Amino acid sequence: MNTHQPVNIIMIEDDDGHARLIERNIRRAGISNTIHHFTDGTSALEFIFNGSEGPILNGPAMVLLDLNLPDMSGTDILTRIKSVDKLKRTPVVVLTTTDDKVEIQRCYDLGCNVYITKPVNYESFADAIRQLGLFLAVIQVPEVTE
Amino acid sequence: MVAQDPMGAGRSALSTEAIRRLLAAALLLGAAILVAVSLSAAWLVARDQEYTGWVNHTYTVERHISRFSVLFERAEAARRGYLLTHDDRYLVGYRDSATALPKELEALQALTGDNPRELAAITELEPLLSNKLNTLEASMRAAQTQSMAAPTDAATLEEDQPLVSQIRELLARMVVEENRLLQIRTERQTANADLLLAAVLTAGALLAALSIGAVILVRRYAADLDGSQAELRSVNEGLERAVAERTADLTRANDEIQRFAYIVSHDLRSPLVNVMGFTSELEVSLKPLQALLHEVEEKAPSIPLKAAREAVQADLPESITFIRAATRKMDRLINAILRLSREGRRTLTPEWLDMGDLLGGIVESVQHTALERGATIVLESPLPTISSDRLAVEQVFSNLIENALKYAKPGRPARIVVRGLTTGSGCAFEIEDNGRGIATADHERIFELFRRSGPQDQPGEGIGLAHVRALIYRLGGSITLDSELDRGSTFRISLPRTLLRDRDQTA
Repeated sequence: MNTHQPVNIIMIEDDDGHARLIERNIRRAGISNTIHHFTDGTSALEFIFNGSEGPILNGPAMVLLDLNLPDMSGTDILTRIKSVDKLKRTPVVVLTTTDDKVEIQRCYDLGCNVYITKPVNYESFADAIRQLGLFLAVIQVPEVTE
Repeated sequence: MVAQDPMGAGRSALSTEAIRRLLAAALLLGAAILVAVSLSAAWLVARDQEYTGWVNHTYTVERHISRFSVLFERAEAARRGYLLTHDDRYLVGYRDSATALPKELEALQALTGDNPRELAAITELEPLLSNKLNTLEASMRAAQTQSMAAPTDAATLEEDQPLVSQIRELLARMVVEENRLLQIRTERQTANADLLLAAVLTAGALLAALSIGAVILVRRYAADLDGSQAELRSVNEGLERAVAERTADLTRANDEIQRFAYIVSHDLRSPLVNVMGFTSELEVSLKPLQALLHEVEEKAPSIPLKAAREAVQADLPESITFIRAATRKMDRLINAILRLSREGRRTLTPEWLDMGDLLGGIVESVQHTALERGATIVLESPLPTISSDRLAVEQVFSNLIENALKYAKPGRPARIVVRGLTTGSGCAFEIEDNGRGIATADHERIFELFRRSGPQDQPGEGIGLAHVRALIYRLGGSITLDSELDRGSTFRISLPRTLLRDRDQTA
């Protein structure tokens, strides 16, 4: 029944500037999916688990997650998402300024699908985001066949 | 008790010194007493022998005197016997005694040569004796010629009676004199023996007193030593505790700084991402503007566009370039702080490192660059083996060797020498180059973060040496620099031979 439902993008990012940059690049990559932006973990989790348009109640989604949030750590959100059956296949893209190997490994261990560091070199960052668009196109396939 | 009374320690040390001096004095005094006792004993014994000799001498003289009187009496008796009986046996006895008497007198004279009183007696005795002997001889001869039947009358027998009593008296006087001498000499001998005994007893008493004093001193000394040892121990324990406390404080402060550096650098990156991102956005937005300007210029050349063209084509791109360069630089600096803080949080794991192998590996990794620049790197063997964190040690040495290659004096092929040796509980290393050197004013500065020295003709942010020093401090070592401009530099590193396991592991 979800076959034709578009993937919702849930962006959890406390820095408005970053959020805007990410959104612009996503749009520039030709992706027009709905983007739900949250600046803190609590409201993001509320949307994911209880929101009427959230992934549990309403179709597939992709999560763009910043690790440094004011109210909780991004890894907490990651753990919560990956521990629920209905959500554990939801792709999570971690976007953060950290390039600490230990933290990256921890994210992958927790089930993160892609890890992108926010580099100051904007071009590579924009590239990564555009790659994300391709990724988005790919992940729709299993969702469709399911 | 941690706090000690320094005066107490001082006093104790002083009395210890005094005791040591007293002990030495006691030993010296004891030795002196022993020597004195030995000398006086030897002297007293020699005197005793001398006195004994004199006593014996007296006895000899007395013996001779008594023999003389025996001979004299015997001669008298034999004559009397002969005169009465005319028996020839008496004649023989008389002759023996008569010939022995003068010899005996001579012997006596020789023996008593030292005594004028005895000599006087002997001198007196001599004419009496010869007189007597002559008288005897005469009477004997007369008797021989007289008829055997007629016995000599009593008058003849008694005619020299006064002479005999005189001789007897003299002999008695001599004996008295000798007895007097004997008494004196025996007394002297006894006194001498008493003196010897007294000397030995006094020496014994002195030595005993000294020994007791020395034992008391030694016991006090030992007690003092025990006391100061206990004191030292407690001071040491206090010191260790204080050091442990300081170390804990330092570790906490260091952790705080590390965390601070991490958070700051991390959070500084966020706004930077915005600056950079929106700068790019500006650039992107500039493109349609430039295109528009171009189009307007073509289609409506009448509109004055000079200011707009300058802004869009020159000023804006220039501003963007500067913003971008500045942001990049800031990013590099933040990354450097981040790296340093990460390095500071890394747990050090000591392992045994053969520095020859380790440095060989580093040299191999820079060999390509070295060949390109005509530089030579010499590792002076033997190089010590230390127990330390491999990664940290590698970073320190590769950083310094790379620096030496990088800052070679132009026109002079670099020659880099690395040497090391074990010094007690640590190891000292030297990295010497003949490069462009570092001005004295910058010797401390170059170890600070983001500071560089000399002409800025090489890429870099001024992070390397700060990193090196931070690492060496963490490894428990130190680094110093000897350098002269245009001559070269020598970095001296000292590292502990064994790195203690990391106590300040970050949580």
